[in-house]
Amino acid sequence: MSDLELEPVIGIDLGTTNSVVATVLDGVPRVIQNRSGQLLTPSIVAVAKNGRRLVGQIAKRQAVTNPDNTVFAAKRLIGRRWGSREVEDARKILPYDLVAGPEGNDVRIRMGDRVWPVPEISGLILSELKTDAEAFFGRQVTRAVVTVPAYFNDGQRQATKDAGRIAGLDVTRIINEPTSAALAYGFGKSVEKKVVVFDLGGGTFDVSILDIGKSVYDVVGVGGDTYLGGEDFDRRVMDWLTFSFAKEKGGVDLRRDKMALQRLKDASEKAKCDLSGAAVAGIHLPFLIGGGEGRPALHLEKQIQREKLEELTKDLVDRCIQVVDRTLRDVGVRPSQIDDVILVGGMTRMPSVQKAVRDFFGREPSRGVHPEEVVALGAAIQAHALTHRQGSTEVLLLDVTPQNLGILVVGGYFQTIIPRNTTVPTSQMHVFTTSQDNQTSVRIAVLQGASDKAIENELLGEFVLAGIRPTLRGEVGIEVNFDISADGIVSVSARDMVTGQCQSITVTATSGLTEDELKRIMDENVDELLARKQIVSDFERRREATERIIGEIEALMPVVTAALARSRFGKDAVNKAQAMVQRAQAAIRAQDGDQLVTLGEQLDRTLQLFKGLSGGAPEERGP
Amino acid sequence: MTAAELMEQGIRAYTRCELGEAERCWRDVLALEPTNARALSYLELLVGKLAPQGAPGKDGGSAASIGLVTTAGAAPVPLPPPAAVPAAAPAPSRGRGAEPVPLPAPEEGAWMRPPIAIPPAPEPSSIDGRELRERTTLSDYAPSPWDQGPAMSPAVVLDDGDGLDLASVAEQSDLRALVPEEGDGAPQTPRRKPRSEVEIWMEGARELFALGDFSGSLEMIEKILKIESSHVEAREYLRQNEATLIAMYESKIGPPRAIPRLAIKPEEVMWLNLDHRAGFLLAQIDGTVSYDDLFALSGLPHLDTARILAALLQEGVIRS
Repeated sequence: MSDLELEPVIGIDLGTTNSVVATVLDGVPRVIQNRSGQLLTPSIVAVAKNGRRLVGQIAKRQAVTNPDNTVFAAKRLIGRRWGSREVEDARKILPYDLVAGPEGNDVRIRMGDRVWPVPEISGLILSELKTDAEAFFGRQVTRAVVTVPAYFNDGQRQATKDAGRIAGLDVTRIINEPTSAALAYGFGKSVEKKVVVFDLGGGTFDVSILDIGKSVYDVVGVGGDTYLGGEDFDRRVMDWLTFSFAKEKGGVDLRRDKMALQRLKDASEKAKCDLSGAAVAGIHLPFLIGGGEGRPALHLEKQIQREKLEELTKDLVDRCIQVVDRTLRDVGVRPSQIDDVILVGGMTRMPSVQKAVRDFFGREPSRGVHPEEVVALGAAIQAHALTHRQGSTEVLLLDVTPQNLGILVVGGYFQTIIPRNTTVPTSQMHVFTTSQDNQTSVRIAVLQGASDKAIENELLGEFVLAGIRPTLRGEVGIEVNFDISADGIVSVSARDMVTGQCQSITVTATSGLTEDELKRIMDENVDELLARKQIVSDFERRREATERIIGEIEALMPVVTAALARSRFGKDAVNKAQAMVQRAQAAIRAQDGDQLVTLGEQLDRTLQLFKGLSGGAPEERGP
Repeated sequence: MTAAELMEQGIRAYTRCELGEAERCWRDVLALEPTNARALSYLELLVGKLAPQGAPGKDGGSAASIGLVTTAGAAPVPLPPPAAVPAAAPAPSRGRGAEPVPLPAPEEGAWMRPPIAIPPAPEPSSIDGRELRERTTLSDYAPSPWDQGPAMSPAVVLDDGDGLDLASVAEQSDLRALVPEEGDGAPQTPRRKPRSEVEIWMEGARELFALGDFSGSLEMIEKILKIESSHVEAREYLRQNEATLIAMYESKIGPPRAIPRLAIKPEEVMWLNLDHRAGFLLAQIDGTVSYDDLFALSGLPHLDTARILAALLQEGVIRS
């Protein structure tokens, strides 16, 4: 049975800046183009000024002119706690409004005339990718593997799963992005190497170190900078263009005009991409900004050399290398011990980035994988392996704990029990004691994070162990045990070592959305999805019918043309039929269902006429 | 300047009552396109209007007599109907009540009416408000959706009563007083209470709307709303004018899901005469976005986007 006949499954790289969907078809992993024919779908959602909901490229194109109602980089916020450092940092730079959720725990986004939970925003992006996949397969897609950064905590992972549910996807597994990249890198070959995944995306930079054994992918270390990516490079080009323009046009500041800024941003990104393959890129932006006082609009005509781009962004490239160096040091690995470097993210196409990587590691980075597709391809491979186990190679993904896990101790400090990068499943035990005389109970607050201060970390859950024998402080031993299953479920237990009194908790990750809220959002989306599907299926039905009639008319055309050649009106009739066919083809291209309805009747009449003139359909006539 | 632009300029001049300028523009259109039906029909009307003032055609008054190709049988370019033709209603109230204000209907059939017999030019003394309202005017034939620069002032400003507000006419148009001015020894007309600018503009907006000049009416309304943003009647006219103009432009654009494409070479874009907003929209047209998408991503008011896209189509810069 071919993969097309089996239930389709997809892998999704849900990125901060762009997202990609892929699948495995007849054993070959491949990216699914979106309905605009592009591989990347910007992870951007907007409510346009006319109230229309926009997702992807179209939302990106109006991001600068409609900043209040355009949500980008929602991934920075998904599953985050309101008031956390990450959210506070994001609030400083994001142009759209963030508000606290109803319980005051999670983050919500104000867009258009309502407030959106972050998983719902991500759900819209996933839904767009799902629709693209359904257009590719021609049927419904319900199962997916979705990738997340290796440092995502349990709440963020759960929120990503919830986003999948909102989109109508059963997220069968969440896998780490570097693991996914390595999976695609090692696909179809036997690899035993220590590799670095150097992932420079649009908004974030992630470095991961993996040990790849025989079908075993073990992430041994992660690092990165969540505010370093391709957009920083674009901004440098934009600034350069802005100042050059001001210099040449008597101080005209492009930043004062949102439309100009939007075009400038798009052009800067394009020029940057062009310079990865060419030494010079031209930027032509006619009628960019009004000339003022009735004067004609001004044009921007500029060329940028690759050297200039490298000069403008040198410090950014240096920052990447510093992060890599720090991450390697964290896990005690020297650059020379790395067997291969997998480049991920469009930015790694930039020659100066590749050169920096080459210089640091003393070796050429791998060129065997497509940097923008590799994460989605890995997810698709994993999805395929999970769904179609028969005949496929078993792949064991050994994930690690993304962050330190531990408990709150006296003084508000955080005591790590399972350090980050510990391979799961794992179990760790630590003995604590009471802090006051005659203390009969202890509070066990389970936390996750990188800070020494408990308050700066994520609270996963808490419980109280009571019934402790009253005695002097420090005399009671309390054994705290952390256990993480292969599915990532954290269980914590505390036991009084004298009395044997025991309490435990199983931490269930939460995205901030309650089950009721999630169901309500899903119900709302179902109606909209059904309506959209109905429109698509109506159009498809009309398209198929129209194409069939066009095919029949075109088949009869030579016969009818010959039959009418001598008649006075013959040429005119044939011309009219041809024009009608062209109009119908144009309506199909424009996806204009209404026009197809209008033309359908006329085409049908033409076909009947042609059949009458030709004495029946071609196959019906005798030799 | 292209024929369409000259046509435009002529219409604008006409709505400002600059009849000489309007005639010059439309004659220039005919120099470029001798069979332009709109220009011919407008000129026919205009010649009739100018005749008594000693303009060419005085002795015969027909278009043929001044060297124009006759337009007998040639219909002016049909225009789409307004989006929502307001129901015929009594003259709108000037009150500021909360109820929506009914608007007068543009004259029925104004869009597609073929040229009719040119009415005899009125004698100066016979021009009064009532007669002007009843007379077929150029705007009945030629409400143009391509008004990029709507009328600067109403064609003729009518008072609450029946007579012309001469002061206002003299101030706002090239028309000169048609009744003797004070001091000429003529009998004096009774003084009227001076009206506010808002009232004058509102009157003009109503008149232009009734004549089918929605751009001109809209411009008047915008002036009013700058001064009195809560003017109920003006807001209602704003809505109706915008809806009508949007419908007109959208009918030119075609199906919203159609995908426009550049009809000229990219390097030729530089030689067009566009403003930066048109430049922005043109930059978004890359063969993947539909008109619907352009309306959503432009960030401009819907009317402006529709106007720019219709103009780009009209000028042959883009095609569907």
